[in-house]
Amino acid sequence: MEPRFLPSTKRDNWLGQLAREYTLFFPARVEKKVHWHRLEAEDLESGDSGPEWGLCCIRASEPIKSFLFSPREQVASFPDRLEPEEPEKRILFGVKDCDLLGLKVHEKMFLEGDFKDPFYEARLKNTILIAADCPDPEDSCFCNLVGRKPYATEGADIVLSVLDNGYLLEPLTEQGEELVRLGGDAFQPGTEAQIARRDEQRKAAVEKLEKTNPKPWNPEVAKAMEDRTKDQAFWRKHAATCVECFGCLMSCPTCFCFLLYAKAKEAKVERTRIWDACYLAAYARVGGGANPRAEFLKRFINRFQCKFMHFKNQHGFYACSGCGRCFKVCMGKIDIRKVLGEL
Amino acid sequence: MQKSETGNRMNPYQPIPARILKTFDETPNIRTFVLKPEQEVEFLAGQFIELTVPGFGEAPFTPSSSHFKRDKLEMTIMKVGRATSALFSLKEGDMLGIRGPYGKRYPLEKFEGKEIFIVGGGVGLAPLRALFLALTHEVEKYKKIFLRYGARTPNDIVYKSLIPEWRNLKRVDIDLSVDVGDESWKGKVGVVTVLLEKIPCDAKNSVAVVCGPPIMMKFVTIGLLEAGFPGDAVYLSMETNMSCGLGQCGHCRLGPYFTCKDGPVLTWEQVKDIENPFV
Repeated sequence: MEPRFLPSTKRDNWLGQLAREYTLFFPARVEKKVHWHRLEAEDLESGDSGPEWGLCCIRASEPIKSFLFSPREQVASFPDRLEPEEPEKRILFGVKDCDLLGLKVHEKMFLEGDFKDPFYEARLKNTILIAADCPDPEDSCFCNLVGRKPYATEGADIVLSVLDNGYLLEPLTEQGEELVRLGGDAFQPGTEAQIARRDEQRKAAVEKLEKTNPKPWNPEVAKAMEDRTKDQAFWRKHAATCVECFGCLMSCPTCFCFLLYAKAKEAKVERTRIWDACYLAAYARVGGGANPRAEFLKRFINRFQCKFMHFKNQHGFYACSGCGRCFKVCMGKIDIRKVLGEL
Repeated sequence: MQKSETGNRMNPYQPIPARILKTFDETPNIRTFVLKPEQEVEFLAGQFIELTVPGFGEAPFTPSSSHFKRDKLEMTIMKVGRATSALFSLKEGDMLGIRGPYGKRYPLEKFEGKEIFIVGGGVGLAPLRALFLALTHEVEKYKKIFLRYGARTPNDIVYKSLIPEWRNLKRVDIDLSVDVGDESWKGKVGVVTVLLEKIPCDAKNSVAVVCGPPIMMKFVTIGLLEAGFPGDAVYLSMETNMSCGLGQCGHCRLGPYFTCKDGPVLTWEQVKDIENPFV
């Protein structure tokens, strides 16, 4: 669909329209980090500018999976029944491509198997994704190594690029087109010069990433990882500083593991789902007490094999988006690029 | 899969109610529960279900009744941990929750015309019973069914009252062993592999099916392969932490597989490259 240009001066008017119809979240700069923040239509009207927008920053600290795959939610009850409720209609304004890759992984896991997750499906259906280019990748970014770009070309309803005096928006879906239509006259057709400027910015971002991460991984990572399965020295070296805090897994946009636990009250059972981490010692333990991954090293290897071997072999792409959150939060400074780079 | 009562969206986590019609003790710590689910559970031998125990939570079990008779569901369960202890405190008439079935069935079409060598250990005979009953229901499709079963002592043998009936079925050959015998025991004595000393079928063209404790699975598998059973014809019930049953939560990962989705029965060919698959 044709790109449209929204001048900066008309942005808030359009955002106000969106925020009145949807719950809208945007990336806000708070100190040196970016966090998701809810935009209130009333605040816009009253001239309260709120926190600074961080559309040109790298991804927020929190992966957007939190919006769709809830960190904690009740999924069943017994003997009473529980069915998914209709979730609120949301717009995530300014999603980075690395987070979109996370959703692609979750769609494979939660929607494309034998069983659809109705909670995830309902939230995804009611969520509009407006992607924003990532013009200034940081040293921790490595989406180029996993075959991605610092801008989206699919998986969102609209792709937005910030230009000097406004925004270039390219709707990818009918829903995205509808949102642009809401803005009416505020939008003008994107000019060739604007498109060229966007492409220039994108090219510069790609070049910056290639400078940060110049050496591509072994194209046969999945195979190389399989061959290294029993190379204890290799894995021990990389796992040495891990303190098993599993911050890497909680901040990962692609991790999908969850734990089902029951809250039992007399004869009733409430079944709740929370995010889980495959680094936890009891993660794979069975009822009788046996544990196939009792040693931490096995759990460490399993995490890498899950993302780069099993998922790649089964779905054709890595369950890693190159967002860099895992080593930004890592107390042991384990850089996933280094592990993969040595394969 | 269960259908939702509200609209099109199905909630695969929501159990359906099932009443306990009858229970009977097989051994001092193994009990068979006969359940009447509110809706028919369309399971096939090899698949499992998740049982919700009121006041406790959920755990996976494999039905031990025939998939040709689905109005009632039988489960033979050993008391080993918290979930099964809570289950054993329930009485006839109490309600349970059921969701499923999950996982893959035994590919019975691949068994047709062949000799089938089934080896069970302890309570591992429970899921094999569902297979045995499915096979004997259409026994003319198969060349012969060998059932080999080992228990710790004569007292630990499950389905004691049924085994004599099974011995009279046509094309069925049954042999039992116990680790430790007593005065009344006339059968073989020794760990379950004593039942593999003479394998009466043409191993290279037969199918073997194994279920039991991990250590027994390991040594029986070695014995079967040595006897000439092809790796892709040795079907093993793998024990992992199956939690969601939907192939999503990740807990039951076994190499490239989620056993709740790809198993719980996998062939030796599928698991042979996994480091120590029997834990």
